[in-house]
Amino acid sequence: MRSSRRRDMNWAALLAAVTSLLASLTAGSFDSLAEDSAGRVRTGLQVLYDFRDADGLLVKDRSGVGEPLDLKIENPRAVGRTPGALTVRGQTLIRSAGPAQKVIDAVKRSGAISIEAWVRPAKANQTGPARIVTLSKNGNERNFTLGHDGNRFDFRLRTTSTTTNGIPSLSSPGRSLTTKLIHVVYTRNRSGAARLYLDGQQRAQKRVRGSTSNWDGSYRLGIGNELSQDRLWLGTFHLVAVYSRDLSPNEVGQNFRAGADGETARIAQRDQKASHFETRVAPLLAQHCLECHDAATHEGGLDLSKKATALAGGDSGAAIVAGKPAASPLWEAIELDEMPKDRVPLSPEDKLVLRDWINSGATWSLDAIDPAVYTHDIRVAKNWVNRLTVNEYIDTVRAAVDVDIAKEARRILPPDLRADGFSNTAYNLNVDLKHVEAYAQLAEIIVSRMDTVTFAARFSRSRKLTDDNMRDLISKMGKWLLRGPLDEREVVIYRGISTTVASAGGDFRQAVGYFVEAMLQSPRFIYRMENQRGDGTAWPVDQYELASRLSYIIWGGPPDEALIRSADAGELDLDATRAHAKRMLQDPRAVKRSHQFASEWLNLNRLQNLRPNRDKFPDWDDALAADMRAETLAYFHEVVWEQQRPLADLLNAQVTHVTPRLARHYGLAAPPDAPADQPVRLDLSQTASRGGLLTQGSVLTVGGDEASMVTRGLLVLHDLLRGVVKDPPPCVEVKTVPSKPGLTQRGIAEARLANQACGGCHIKFEPLAFGLEKFDGLGVYHDVDEHGNRLREDGEILFPGEAQTVAYRTSAELMDLLAGSDRVRQSITWKLTQFALGRPLVAADARTVNRIHHAAQQAGGTYAGLITAIVVSDLVQMTRTEH
Amino acid sequence: MNRPRINRRTLLKGLGSVTIGLPLLEEMMLNSATAAPSAEIPVRAFNVFFGLGIPAPLQSEGFRDVLEPLEPLTDKLLIMRNVDQVRCDASGINAHFDGASGAFTAEPPDGEAKSGGPSIDQVVRKTHYPQGLPQGMVPTLIGGTFFRRSRVSRYVHSYNADGTVASTMQEKPRDLFDRVFGTIGLAGGETDVRRQRLRRSVLDSVVDQYRFYTGPNSPLGAASKARVADHLDRIREFEQRAYEMKDSPKDGPQLPPRSQIAHGGPADPGGQGIDMKLDDLTAEWRLMADLYALAIQLDRVRFGSLTFLAAGERLRITGDYTYNDRLVYRFNDAKDLNASGDKGCSHEWWHKFNEKKKNTQLRAHAHMKMREVAYFLQRLDGPDSLEANGKSILENSMVSISTESGDGRHNDVKRELSGVFHAISGANGRFKTGQIMDVGAEGIDVYNTMLAAMGAEDRLGPKKREMRHVDKIRA
Repeated sequence: MRSSRRRDMNWAALLAAVTSLLASLTAGSFDSLAEDSAGRVRTGLQVLYDFRDADGLLVKDRSGVGEPLDLKIENPRAVGRTPGALTVRGQTLIRSAGPAQKVIDAVKRSGAISIEAWVRPAKANQTGPARIVTLSKNGNERNFTLGHDGNRFDFRLRTTSTTTNGIPSLSSPGRSLTTKLIHVVYTRNRSGAARLYLDGQQRAQKRVRGSTSNWDGSYRLGIGNELSQDRLWLGTFHLVAVYSRDLSPNEVGQNFRAGADGETARIAQRDQKASHFETRVAPLLAQHCLECHDAATHEGGLDLSKKATALAGGDSGAAIVAGKPAASPLWEAIELDEMPKDRVPLSPEDKLVLRDWINSGATWSLDAIDPAVYTHDIRVAKNWVNRLTVNEYIDTVRAAVDVDIAKEARRILPPDLRADGFSNTAYNLNVDLKHVEAYAQLAEIIVSRMDTVTFAARFSRSRKLTDDNMRDLISKMGKWLLRGPLDEREVVIYRGISTTVASAGGDFRQAVGYFVEAMLQSPRFIYRMENQRGDGTAWPVDQYELASRLSYIIWGGPPDEALIRSADAGELDLDATRAHAKRMLQDPRAVKRSHQFASEWLNLNRLQNLRPNRDKFPDWDDALAADMRAETLAYFHEVVWEQQRPLADLLNAQVTHVTPRLARHYGLAAPPDAPADQPVRLDLSQTASRGGLLTQGSVLTVGGDEASMVTRGLLVLHDLLRGVVKDPPPCVEVKTVPSKPGLTQRGIAEARLANQACGGCHIKFEPLAFGLEKFDGLGVYHDVDEHGNRLREDGEILFPGEAQTVAYRTSAELMDLLAGSDRVRQSITWKLTQFALGRPLVAADARTVNRIHHAAQQAGGTYAGLITAIVVSDLVQMTRTEH
Repeated sequence: MNRPRINRRTLLKGLGSVTIGLPLLEEMMLNSATAAPSAEIPVRAFNVFFGLGIPAPLQSEGFRDVLEPLEPLTDKLLIMRNVDQVRCDASGINAHFDGASGAFTAEPPDGEAKSGGPSIDQVVRKTHYPQGLPQGMVPTLIGGTFFRRSRVSRYVHSYNADGTVASTMQEKPRDLFDRVFGTIGLAGGETDVRRQRLRRSVLDSVVDQYRFYTGPNSPLGAASKARVADHLDRIREFEQRAYEMKDSPKDGPQLPPRSQIAHGGPADPGGQGIDMKLDDLTAEWRLMADLYALAIQLDRVRFGSLTFLAAGERLRITGDYTYNDRLVYRFNDAKDLNASGDKGCSHEWWHKFNEKKKNTQLRAHAHMKMREVAYFLQRLDGPDSLEANGKSILENSMVSISTESGDGRHNDVKRELSGVFHAISGANGRFKTGQIMDVGAEGIDVYNTMLAAMGAEDRLGPKKREMRHVDKIRA
């Protein structure tokens, strides 16, 4: 398997290259928020000052997040500047021109903060405290201040429990501050745990109660002095950063290790040319050129998928001459619409992008271009609020009020339609009158099945309809049903219902019933509402939003009491997220959710609608279809949950679960005492022909009556290898040729591959199905076809991005190759991540998905490992905000 | 529109093999719904889509062959040839999907269930009804008789500005009937005033919450806010139907019969196609077309789309196809193709199209589609569709007709998406009619010219793109 390992490494390198350089995509994409390659943490970053400019009156905010919050030096004669350092020598003020709005908004919302600085005090004993970094108005009013008080650091934070001066403060130990260069970080989480770190080590901690909701929105950010200019600090700044979350001890250590030399900022400031290549040029090449000029096809000897081969050129020499479009054959062919050959020419705008790129030096910043990264337009990943799917609605009702509404919900609610492979794709979860009517009807039915008084007793003992009691009940019950606290506006709305009940002579039971009905129709119940407003960058989701994200990803239902408690306490940091994920994955709801994923990924619902030709397949019926579906789900269950094997093992695990009926269909021997409709486990270790998803009827039937190699090959290419292939080129015969005596489907396929017009693309997917030729349209294994032709199962597989095929002799070897491929593992990561998020993944997600993938593989590549990696990733921990 | 609407009930009698009844709705007895004064002709826009298209060479034969069923409507239509939709090509996708997405939007798809932009009916709707349609109207009605459904744009042809579907597809006549004419029955019959009052308070609280999420302090971003605003619109419609419309009398006509043909998943078994008797197909479609036309006549609907067979539809049709008592062809696709499954479907005739051959089966199928499209158009052009200006609804509305492809062979994108059949009605004197015109323009320019004629300022396609007016289609 040497070639396989080399292939895996190539793809890993490719993705690493793609994703590291995607880091400089537009502000607001997750890539811009992940760690940079110097190792500094960027998640939650609000401002970053690296003091790289050696002159000028501005200290530039290089966070790349939102509107830069630059600081102006009021008295330049009082400071000295060198690249990477600013020294305060005398009285001055260095502050933002206006309120530090993005910092204030973000911290008010998150309730968490980290302030980091690399500084070298000019004097050990400064007092005031002298202001190192401050977000304040004057000597008595502040949101926070990092100060220098004697020989220690002193940190003041305003909360609803501290004074407007941020007192009581948190100080570092005595004599912890000298005139040496030092790294200082203050962190405080939403629940009040505050820590002070020096040079990466925690040196002090305390509880700072209250919330940051009382922060003043008018304060400016300053360094080196109080805003009222009466608390001067003397010394040198090398770096200052503010985050809207609490960095973990590991992250503090990580930033400390990254150093103070400005390396971070330099790396954060990406090469604009590289960014341009990745966001504009690479997608064009992927879309228009790689069909014929990738590693596999390389027509004219030109492979544009890899940097080295692209710059080397083709049979006719260099294709691209940097700085000289006119001398670049690639540009010439595109300009004259000679390329793409027999395809739609590039638009004038796209041509301009390519010409300008060559003109400006043809920077090629990726080692390789993976077309799959560019499959989806960024627009499909916009912030569409997630409406509960029918399954989620049912499970949410069950968890919230302990009523099983499955039967009615499936009957009354319109079904959710598949889009981009899954039926939970948020952009497609729209609503119609029928939904509104259904939600109202279902709410009524649900309440009719509840003992509302007993239900209310969970939240309040009082049964009075008085204002205080009703408000209390509404707040507590609403928090449970709507998955987070209610604000006053909402309490007032629901209070109106009980007022109406009371004025109509109604009682407590009725009031609770109508509350529940109203809440079950609330947008906060039907949708997973989140705060999407901000400055256009990604912000941490709040604790309750995170709790819901976790529960819907892992369970497909609402958060339980333990999650809500953690959210209440503000404790849902990464470690707690991991702990909850571990706990939740033990729950049967996690298993059920995983089955939903498998069912959607493999489109198992397709089976119930399958209608093969009766003449050819007289034994087909709904029961057999149900057996095939049950086989795949039981197999999935065993591999994923019972054996807890890596997900890629789904491709070659030597076991299956079949009913006696399905066993007969396959020609397998089922135990004689097996119950008629129950799948029984069969060990396939001695059955060479079967083992793995691709040998199961649920998947094989995708090829239709004729067991189309094209369709089966495309399934493997698209759903297991994330391969990209285009329509047939011009003048190609697309009719299906039936097999006949002396001519098998394999023979027909090989003829297509030998045809110059077809082979270039078909080589990418048809051989993937060669190993399945012995399975007929309904998955029955044969050595000869209906015409007496001997069938084969050997072939070659070409992994996307590779130039060389890998041969296999049998179907089993093909399954082993797939199961051992990192490309397959990556594809599973992408699929499950898409399902978890409820939206297709786009190029801007690539870096984060790559990190998820690596973390999941380090955790064994299991479902649990992958889900855990997803929920702690930025794709779940953060939300992209809009202005 | 001065005659009592009750006469329109007769519309649905004696058509095909189905006779349906309609509820005696209050507005059916009125001169008009709650919309415009009777003398004012409302702005309307509808997209009519038929699957698989008409190969461009066959469009040049005038009314001699496949276009024959449109001939009786020739004075009411402008048939446009040589309309280029190549810009709708999405890499790696054949024209069934991207061509269908481009019909009425001039944009390739953006995801499996999104178009790249709005459809023309929705742009006109937003222009003329920026605050929403008058109360009681269905904002956008999407209906159709279709089977293949792997991707939404195969059968949905009304899209919001953000490319999401403008409304839910009503694929059964009974569902469409409910959507347009149905009242909402609440438990208890709502005869109890006290109970009704309490239930109103519940609904009020729901409305208040949705209002917050669509208001200035909403925490939602633009796409989410639009989605929730749409939900709020549906709640208001629900309110109106639940509490303001009167129930139909007990002796009133009943719902249309249940559909007898496949819908949902069974209609599209893994892309393999289904068997279909021609009479079953046309009976269902005509019932759908009747109901849709009736909704327009009663001024319950002014915008939307109607689909007769999906893009890339796969049916194995059997049955005698006659036109004007002439047997055009005896359909038996699977037998003619000597194949089963997807390879035995009429779709294959489009793959086999060859200008140098007779294309007998393709012609017969395309002719049948034109017959059924004409059926719907005629419902808008009969005596019951005459309006105050003496013209029919068809003449007064912008009814656009299109399809996904100008060639079904999937072997040349340029040819496949060039020459896509288009037709348009006069839109109350805005467009020329009575001719087959060689337009020779991109669909985006045709559509934008139509939008300009309809008074819309918004345009389809990239903002930077310079619009090329196709003035020759304007009256």
